[in-house]
Amino acid sequence: MVELGSATKKFQKELNAGTSSLVLLAVLNRSGEPLYGYQIAKMLEESGPDIPMMKQGALYPVLRSLEENGLLESMVEPSVSGPPRRYYKITKDGRTALEEWTELWKQTKKFVDTTLKG
Amino acid sequence: MFKTIEDYLHALKSEMNDADPALVQDALADAREHLTLAVEAAKEKQPDGDPSEVLNRIMDEYGTPEETANAYREVERRTSPALKPTVKSRSIFAKFFGVYADSRAWGALLYMLIAFVTGVFYFTWAVTGLSLSISFAIFIFGLPFALLFLLSVRGLALLEGRLVEALLGIRMPRRPLFSHQGMKWLDRLKALLTDKATWLMLVYMIVQFVLGILYFVVMVTWIALSLSFMALPFIQLVWKIPVIVFGDQPRILPMWELILFSISGFLSLTVFVHVAKGVGQLHGKLAKWMLVSE
Repeated sequence: MVELGSATKKFQKELNAGTSSLVLLAVLNRSGEPLYGYQIAKMLEESGPDIPMMKQGALYPVLRSLEENGLLESMVEPSVSGPPRRYYKITKDGRTALEEWTELWKQTKKFVDTTLKG
Repeated sequence: MFKTIEDYLHALKSEMNDADPALVQDALADAREHLTLAVEAAKEKQPDGDPSEVLNRIMDEYGTPEETANAYREVERRTSPALKPTVKSRSIFAKFFGVYADSRAWGALLYMLIAFVTGVFYFTWAVTGLSLSISFAIFIFGLPFALLFLLSVRGLALLEGRLVEALLGIRMPRRPLFSHQGMKWLDRLKALLTDKATWLMLVYMIVQFVLGILYFVVMVTWIALSLSFMALPFIQLVWKIPVIVFGDQPRILPMWELILFSISGFLSLTVFVHVAKGVGQLHGKLAKWMLVSE
């Protein structure tokens, strides 16, 4: 793994703070069925960049805060082996938020790209 | 690195020692779920992989305890907890009557009402379960029964926690406490029996019965008294019913006394809403102490 400078790390953390919610909503919206944390982490790992944007452990608090804000709902299903799994599903509010956030993200991306090009 | 998942969880717990116990319990539940599933998946993929190497890779992907603790702390800081009180400097007058606009006060009142019902239920459940568990112990099915009962106590503790958080605004666990996974059920029963948390939860279920009745009786008496004081002018002036009777002599109260009664009734009601809010906070502290395992 590439060592990142502390300023870069901080920047990535701040970027992740916003984008992780958007990414998680998008994943759950696309899947159409409830997913549990480990499945989501695996899906992100497969489609993500070589250097993971964030640790898998950091996904869970974000999932929880999305649930608290009513954008996701969750239910626990016991499993035969190991601890019960918490399945997350996107809500109607979540879909509305996703649409708005996607639009915001597109605008932000365009703005940043244009600025970087100069 | 850590040799087992339990080691990792232990490190995560000590890393979060300054955080809210309820948040710690949630973080541990998430980590336990993820790490166990990841280890299982890895075993299926490569049955002959070196277990400690696999575990190291999984924990590296999950993040160090420090990173995980920071992630939880960060998100908790950003999300304002439910029913966070807004701090505004107001006059004493506004503070006193402003309680009617305080969602926590209403939540506490509702909780006191519900505590009566839940208290009776918890008590019945605890006493029935305990006595059946003890008397069934001589049968073969007695031990599984005891295990199921103790697990149900944990479930009820989580439920009560959700109620306390919703109505009293005290942060409580949002994930059940599932320890002792993967043990044989007899060992699990032993672990549950020797766990201080189980017994504290049981005691809470019994204490709730007494408190529930106390809250209910005080609440109904106080509110009924206040409301009847407030209603005195209507009763005497509109329906012409004398409200105070000495012997056979009905006493008609003069106007100023009626108004005084009415005002004092309203004041007493307001005082009670304050009391309810305070009792709610105290009860929240008690619930947190007894239902959230360290």
